[in-house]
Formats: sequence, structure tokens, C-alpha cells
Amino acid sequence: MKKLFKAREMTAFLFLVALFLVVGVINPDFLRGGENIAACFNGAIVYILVAVGMAFTILIGEIDVSVGSNLGLVAAVVGTMMQNGESWIKAFLFGLIIGIIVGLINGWGVAVMKIPSLIFTLGTNGVLRGMMFLMVGTKQVTDVPVAFKNLSSKSVVGPLTVFFCCTVVLVAVIQLLMSRTKRGRYFIAVGDNAGGADLVGIPATRTKVLAYVICGILAAVAGILFCSRAGQVTSLSGNGYEMKAVAACVLGGISLSGGLGSVVGAAVGAIIMSSISYLLVFMKLSSYYDNVITGIVLLIIVVLDALMQHRSAVNNRHARLVARTATAGVEKGGGEQ
Amino acid sequence: MKKRSFSLGGLTKGPNFGWNMFLVIVLIAEFIIFGMKNSKFLRVSLLLNASNDFLPICFISIFVTFVMITGGIDIQAGSIVGLTSIVIGILWQELGLNVWVAVVLAVIVAGCCGALSGFFVAYCRVQAMVVTLGGSFLYSGLALLVASLSSTEMYKGLSIESESFRAFTKTKLFGVIPLQIILFLVMLLIAYILLHRSKYGRKIYLVGVNPSAAEYSGVNSRAVIMSTYILSGIAAGITGVFMTSQFSNTALPSHGSTLTMSIITACVLGGTLSTGGKGSVIGTALAAIIIGLVRFGMPLCFNINKQYLDIPIGLLLVVVVVGRAVASNPAVIAKVGKLRKKDAAGAR
Amino acid sequence: MGTNETAGKAVPLLSVRSIYKSFGLNAVLKGIDLDIMPGEVLALIGGNGAGKSTLMKIIMGIYTHDSGELSINGQAVAMNRTSDALAQGIYMVPQEPLLFPNMTVEENIVIGFDKSKAELHKELVDTMAEIGWNLDLGRKANSLSIAEQQLVEILRGILRHARLLILDEPTSALTFDEVKSLFKVVNDLREKGIGIIYITHRLAEVFDISTHVAIMRDGTITIQGPVANFTREDLVKGLLPPDAEEGAHKEAIAAKPVDYSTQPVLELQDFSGYGFDHISLKVWPGEILGVAGVVGAGRTEMATTIFGMDKVLGGKVLLKGQDITGQKTRQVIAAGLNYVPEDRHLNGLFKICDVSANTTSASLFGGTLGKFLLDRRQEYDITERYVQNFRTKVTGHDQLTGSLSGGNQQKIVIGRSLATEPGIVILDEPTRGIDAAARGDVYSIIHQLREQGVSVLLISSDMEEIVELADRAVTMYQGRINAEFQKEEINQDNLMAAAFGIVGEGAKEA
Repeated sequence: MKKLFKAREMTAFLFLVALFLVVGVINPDFLRGGENIAACFNGAIVYILVAVGMAFTILIGEIDVSVGSNLGLVAAVVGTMMQNGESWIKAFLFGLIIGIIVGLINGWGVAVMKIPSLIFTLGTNGVLRGMMFLMVGTKQVTDVPVAFKNLSSKSVVGPLTVFFCCTVVLVAVIQLLMSRTKRGRYFIAVGDNAGGADLVGIPATRTKVLAYVICGILAAVAGILFCSRAGQVTSLSGNGYEMKAVAACVLGGISLSGGLGSVVGAAVGAIIMSSISYLLVFMKLSSYYDNVITGIVLLIIVVLDALMQHRSAVNNRHARLVARTATAGVEKGGGEQ
Repeated sequence: MKKRSFSLGGLTKGPNFGWNMFLVIVLIAEFIIFGMKNSKFLRVSLLLNASNDFLPICFISIFVTFVMITGGIDIQAGSIVGLTSIVIGILWQELGLNVWVAVVLAVIVAGCCGALSGFFVAYCRVQAMVVTLGGSFLYSGLALLVASLSSTEMYKGLSIESESFRAFTKTKLFGVIPLQIILFLVMLLIAYILLHRSKYGRKIYLVGVNPSAAEYSGVNSRAVIMSTYILSGIAAGITGVFMTSQFSNTALPSHGSTLTMSIITACVLGGTLSTGGKGSVIGTALAAIIIGLVRFGMPLCFNINKQYLDIPIGLLLVVVVVGRAVASNPAVIAKVGKLRKKDAAGAR
Repeated sequence: MGTNETAGKAVPLLSVRSIYKSFGLNAVLKGIDLDIMPGEVLALIGGNGAGKSTLMKIIMGIYTHDSGELSINGQAVAMNRTSDALAQGIYMVPQEPLLFPNMTVEENIVIGFDKSKAELHKELVDTMAEIGWNLDLGRKANSLSIAEQQLVEILRGILRHARLLILDEPTSALTFDEVKSLFKVVNDLREKGIGIIYITHRLAEVFDISTHVAIMRDGTITIQGPVANFTREDLVKGLLPPDAEEGAHKEAIAAKPVDYSTQPVLELQDFSGYGFDHISLKVWPGEILGVAGVVGAGRTEMATTIFGMDKVLGGKVLLKGQDITGQKTRQVIAAGLNYVPEDRHLNGLFKICDVSANTTSASLFGGTLGKFLLDRRQEYDITERYVQNFRTKVTGHDQLTGSLSGGNQQKIVIGRSLATEPGIVILDEPTRGIDAAARGDVYSIIHQLREQGVSVLLISSDMEEIVELADRAVTMYQGRINAEFQKEEINQDNLMAAAFGIVGEGAKEA
């Protein structure tokens, strides 16, 4: 029981290892040299960042489906600014500010105005996506500085890229802050039981707004990395990332009802999500299987999880009821027979 | 005989009435604004043709309303559209079935997709959001897979050379009214009767308002919940048939993939409560038409690129939900109440 | 009971002065004055809607009051946020403990503190040793019983050095043993000089646990003072509206005697399930059978299991001789049994639905309301019948039930169960949380049913209710029927004793 909490992201991690091993057995080339595994990791950074941001909103019991457009908009803005020869720092800062503003708006709508998060962020998603079209139009942002593009393929530790290493450090820091600090625990507390959080003096509204701001910032960072990795931004960039991020969180053991899971889980889930298409190549399967496998894995995990949780809830209830009658059962039941 | 105060299912009276009136006013305002800007907007034939663009949203959102009233959500309908389309194509091209048999089979497949997700939501108690998210991956992936079975290259799609099938969306009643508008009205009527006039519809509301109390009233809430997903699946299937026929008889797995946001927007704008228990077919239909007219009118009258249309629709959604949140805020209600009191006192 | 308020002249721990509060146009608190001294246990009594919880939420800083003053140790304070109240040493244990289900006991207790984890851990272990509690700190909160959850909540309060603890109906979900241990804790805390506001619905507890008592009714305090100054009757009087014609409903029960020679309507044979064991009982046509017992004795579980809500573990249920054991709810309803749930908010009402949808929700099967389409004329007639018969106060059939008073809501839920024309209805705590006038109405409905030959299985924790209504009564104790009383043997003492497991000579053992 005590281990259950830890077990949730462990399951995801073991699943990832098993996935690599299975592919390795089918096609030994995959495991040779480690480059392929590194490629899976390197390819996951954008997903990891978006999923970790999404994890904050899901942990507090809400959701943010505007991350995809947020990412796209930031990528477009940063790309355009760089293309126009603005300084990198200025472009990055601008991107981050957009992320913060989006986070504040979403946080205001959900936490202050108490609008269902799916609905509200769906609305902001539309607005952001439209603004992105305004930015990019039918043209594409293609002239991103080469130096910036090359940054994404620069490796530091073996075949692992700078970006990946930074992402790992970032996720580790966030995880430590979440589990070790008082305020870090607030996110999980609010998602676990918002009413209870209020009673022990946790500022639920502020915590929720903060979660959205963090989500917005991470989506913005993901947008910047996206710009560097892809080297071009079209008006559709970032589309669909929100759904993949939710799926990554669920795969990583985060409960959509909030309060259960961790950002590390989300990161592992994101690696699984983004690796599947890469792995299909090694399994000599067509890439058409990508969505099918993602869908099936997602459904199996959530269905099993829900069934188990329901079972344990029912069993707990029954055990409690039986405990109430137990004394009578022993006293009298024993006497009668 | 005493006065009877029962309502006509929210059409003439009842809690939805005010909201529906508001939607009608918005609709009229759209006609006036767009019409003043560009008189082409008011040309009936153009308008009717434009309906092709937004009827898919209407079709699906009406039945997604059912799902949302039970407290769920359906973000997979879009991918079921694509799957249906491709199934028709494959059945016709690879198996050589009669196109109408293929259509019926494809709609049955769509219903099964809805049933599977509905089963997970209702009987395994998984959140609707996750299930339909998984469903959207699964069904869109299946569409791609099925499409890869065919010998044709996928981006071209499977073209279905059947005159009767083509005629499905090209026929016009009295030479003006496209057949699909008739189909839409029929589906609207069916949905209206189901939700607002039948015992089944009452059960949907009861389950959405308080599932536990519904169980205590003997309502099999799980079966009711599952049935709503089947209905939305079937609606998505019919939309798939319709879009396949409309896009020059081409079956494509990508049909419907962009509909999700508009569908949910239509439901919410139509007055459906995302926490369940409230909503109406008329409201959703009106909202879907409003969204459709924005999509049609903005480019026509204001030369706005179609791709920017997410902005007004997104804004509409945000404004509506924020406005409603403000209006239901106890502090605001108290203020309005006091103002009214003052007015009443002043009038005296 | 300790009357150790020697510090009578001392400054009150908490002093509430002429607090007013309205929600919208609805005035909930109309000038509340209340004092609580260190080492006092103040029992706060009042029906639902009396304003108790609003007052507590104001004290906790969850709501802000419109006018009036709060002072702590003689100093006026502003409570704008929960953290203000916590800083002042006030802690509330809510009725339903609000723990974080996925966190461990320890995490639950220490969350929201500024100190280091190790420090808190030591303090927590010391505190527990001091009061002599034993709780596995590593357990997850969702595996705790309600009583254990309350202990966790109380520990939270103690660790915050709370000087004032508010316990909101702490015993409502506890078993008898758990109540005893809770009382011990309350006494320990009182001796430490902590002030306690003890909110309860149960008058008996007032005399067991509290030093002072205050009664709230309709947003005002009607009675206030040391417990010793009052008798049970005084308290009851304080709860009733001033002009309540007491006993208006006690019109001569010229009841026709129950014919015990006929076939019973409902018969349980050695019926077992989760929370109850080997229950055998019979209910005859036109009989009101009272089922007394404390909360948690297994009465509700027995009823809901009959009603098809949980698994049957053994035995049989016969309805008019027909075996309905383990059938689905709708089949049970169709067979002629209906159940009015204990928690009408959770399991009874459709709050954002109108009166007619609520009244007919159980009649959607069979042909009563049409085959496929809803027969609105029938719906109107059924609704009108129960609105008229029960004198339910509604503005129209389209009024939403969430806006009705508790009594009227209850009448609608009872009406719904009768609309299915059952031979027997199980009423589970039918008058809980409704005012005296509505209570009288519910009693006359029950009498009316009896007249019409409908049997009633009346589950109630209110012994007076059973004395007044029942033709025969059984008591349940820890999941079993431990005593049965005939009409002439039913009195509060017998019932109360048996409900607490003491079966006297007056009653024959079941």
C-alpha cells in the first residue's frame, strides 16, 4: 500500500524498458550501440516539457488543452523574431512572456472564474491557434538561424543532446521541488482534495493559477526547443500536442482526477509516447500502427487502473461494514452454532 | 380543467428558453451584420450550399449533447468520421460490396466504436475524457491502417464511383434545398423527440443530474450512459457517409479530424452544462448554425482567411463561459437583486 | 460532568458579537452572540439550515460576515482567509473529514506547516504518545475508517496548537465504540484547556460531553448557558419554533388493528449482506414496523441491499410471497417495494430538475408514463396528486427542487416512492434535518399510508419517532436484530437501551 504511490511511475518506467527489450529481441540492431535509444530520448524533449507542464494542471485536478497552440504560437513568435535578426535572448524572453500570459489567463478562467477547465482552455486554444495563423499565415517560418538549429543536434553526454540533458535536469529539479518542498506538495494536495486544502490553509486558487502559469512556461520552452529542432514553423505546428501530452501523463501514471502521480511519470510517459513511432521502424511495421498502438495502450492502462481502483474502493467499504458486524458475529454466531 | 403549466420540452418555456432566445438573437444579428456588409450572404442558394461546410458539426454535436448531459464528453467523434469514410471506401473498392451495403456496415462499425468507448466509461468507470482520447487515437489509427490495406495511395483517398452515392449529397429538393438539409432536419427531429419527449430522454437528464439518485429510482444509469456514446458514434458514422459523398466521393481517413473543437463549442454555446444535467437539442443546433454562419460569413464579408476563424469561435466560447460564470456568481446575483428591489421601490 | 469554568471572569477564547450574514437576498445569520472560554465544551445544536455551518465557516474565515465582530482573547480580529483562523489557533474538524486520500497519514497532518519535516515528525510522534494514540503514520488516508480520519483531523488541530477546536457532527458516521473513544479524546482535550465547539444533532450527547450548550434556530441563538441549567425538554423547546403547536399531528390514532393472521407483505429470512447479518423479520399489510438503532448498526445497508444496491450474502427476501432476493432495483420497484433513501441530497434529489421530473423519476418503467414517449398529462396528474396530498409548497411543477426547503424536498422524494404504488415502503430517517412543521406533515403522510393498507418499514434513530408511529418495533445492534417490541412495549427507554446493545427483561430476544 505504501509502495503504491511510487509504483505508479515505476510501472511506466518498467513498461518503457520492456518496450525497448521487446523491440531489441525482434530486431537486435535496435539495442546495438545505444544510439537508437538515445535517439528515442532526444526525440522526446518537446513532448517531455509539454507533458510535465500538463502534469501540473492534471495533478491539481484540471486540464489544459491549449498547450499545443501555446507551443505553436511561441515557436512562431520566436522563429519570426530570430528570422528578423532580433537577439536570441530577446526572442526567448518574448516567448516566455507569452507562455506566462497564457498561463495567467487560463489560471484566471479556471481557478478564479471557476469555469470547467476543458471548456475554457478549449476556447483559449482556438484563440491562440488563430493568433498563430495571423503570425505565420500561409507562409512558413523557415529562416531560423543555422546556429540555433544546430544547437538541437549538439550532443554532450555520449549521443545525448544538450537539450535532452537540460530537460532531464529541469525535470529532476521540478520533481525535487514537488516532493521535497512544502509548496510543491500543495499542487498534489489541491488536486487530491480541494476542500481539504482550503481547511489547512493552502491557497487553492493561487496554487491553481500557479500550476497553469508553470504549464504555460513549460509549453513556451517546448515551443522554443521545437523551433530549434524542427527548424521551421508552419501554421499547424504544435497541433495535437495537447492530446499527446494528456496521453503521456496518463501513461506515466497520473490520475486524471488529480492528486495522484508525479512529473517524472509524465516525462517517462512522454518518452513512451514519442518512441512508439520510432520503434515501429525497427519492428518493421508501418507507421500507421502508431496511433492504434498508442490508443490501445492508453485504453488498457486506464481501464485496468479504473477497475483496480474501483475494486479496492468496494473492498474497503465492504471490509468496513463487515468489521462493524464482526463483534456481533463472533459473540452470537459462535453461540448459536 | 385547471391550468396546465407543463412545458414543451424547453422549446416554448422552461429553463432553456431564455438561452435559446439569446441564441436566436445572435443568429439574427449575424444575418443583419453579414447581410449589411455583403448582400451575397443573404442569397439563399449560397447559404444553402454553405451548409455543407457546417452540417457535419450540427449532426455530431446534437448527439454529443446527449453524452454531455450525462456528464461525459466525446472527443472521439471526429476520428470515427474518418474511420467510417475509409471503411466505406475499402468495402466498396476491395470487397466489391454494393455501396449502400457498405454504408450500412460502416455506420454499424461507427456505432460499435461508440459502444466500446461507452462501455469503458459506463461499466469500467474510466473518465470519459481519457476514454475518448484513447478512442480518438485508436479509431484514427485504425482508419489509417484500414486505408493502408488498399492498393491506392492514401493521400489520394479511395474514390467511390457510384452515381447513386454521389447523388446523395448532390440532390436538391425543389432544386434548391440540398438533401442533407432534409437529413439534418430529420435527425434533429429524432434527437428532439428522443431527448425531450421520450422516457429515455428523461432518464438521460436524471443520470446527468444525479447518477446515484437515478439508480435509486431504478434507472439503469450505466446502460443509459453507454447508449449515449453509441448514439454519438452512429451520428459520427452518418456524418462520415455524408462527408465522403460530399467530397467528390472520396474516402479519406482525415475526414472529420478537425471537428472536435467546433463540436464541443457548439454544445457549450448551446447551453449544455459540461458537468451534466442540462442541455437541449435546439440550443445545440442553434449554436452549431451560429458557428457555421461565422465560418461562412467571415471570409465572405470581411475577407478573413478561413484559417483565422478559430479566433472568433474560440473567443465566442471564452466569452460565453466567462459571461455565464459572472452571471451565476452569488455576489453579482445579490447586486442585481438589490438593484431590482430599488427599481421596484422607485416604481412605487 | 466537569463544571470547571472557575475562570468565569477570564477573557473568552472566542467571542462572537452580533454577526450578520446574508447570501444574496437570503439572511442566514441574524445577529449571533456567542462566547467560549478555555476548557469549555460548547454543544451547538440546531436543525439543518439553522445557520450553524455558516457561522462556523465565518469563524474559520471561509466566508466573511456582513457585519459584527469576532474577537480572540479579547482582541478583535479579521478573518478573511482560512490561514488567518489557523494562525489564531482555530481548527475545524469538518463533518466529513477532508483528508487527502492519496497521501499518507503523516503527510496529511504535516501539510501546510512552515517547519522542517524532521521537526514536525518528532512533534507528531510526541503528541501521539502524550495522548496515547496509536496510528500508523505511513498508511494512506483512503484506507482509514471515518473515526481514524477524524483522529487525523484532530491531530492536525493539536499540532497547530489549536486553542479552539470545532467538531462538526463528529459522531454522525461513527460506530458506538468509536463514539466512546471520541468522547474520551474530547474530555482529554478539555482538561488541557482547549475550547471546543461541538456541533451535534443528538440531544443525548449534549449531556454526555458538553459543559455548555447553545441552540440555534433560523439564524439566531435561542438558548445559551451551562448544561446543568437545562433539561432535555428545555432544549427541545429551544429547537421548536415559538408558535409550534406541539402534538398537532398527534391526533388520536384511531388505527385499525393490524391483522397478523394474513400473509406478511415483506419477509426476510436469515438475510445477510455487507454490514448486517442473519436478519429475519416480517411486516404485515398496513403495519408500521419501526427499525431502531444507532447510526452504523446496519439498518441502511439492510434496506439498500433489499433494494438491489449491494450484494446479498445469504438468506431470502420475500415480497408478498414472491422471492425478490438479489433482484435489480427496477425489478424490486416493479414488484411493489420502494425505498426512500437516508441521504436525500446524495441519493434522492435531482436538484436541477423540476418538481414533476423528481416526482415521476421512479415511474419511468412499465406503461404508467407512456410506452416510449413521455405522457405529460399523466406526469402532470401524478405530480399534482402528490403536491396536493402532501401539501408541498411549490410555486409550480417547474420549480427546481434544489430551491425548496428540506421538508418539501423530503415530501417530493416520498411522493416519488409512492407514485410507483408499492405495497410497502422503506422510509430511512424520513424526518432527518427537516423542521417541526414538515415533520408533522411527514407523520400524517405515514398515518395516511397505513390507512390505505400500505406497510411501512420505518428506519429511524429518533426513538420518539418510533414510539409515536410504530405498531411494532425491532432494534438493530451491530448488524443484528437484537430485540423486538410489541406496540405496548415500545418506549424510549426500551428502544434506546436495546439500540446500545442492552437487552432488558421487557423485551424478548429475537
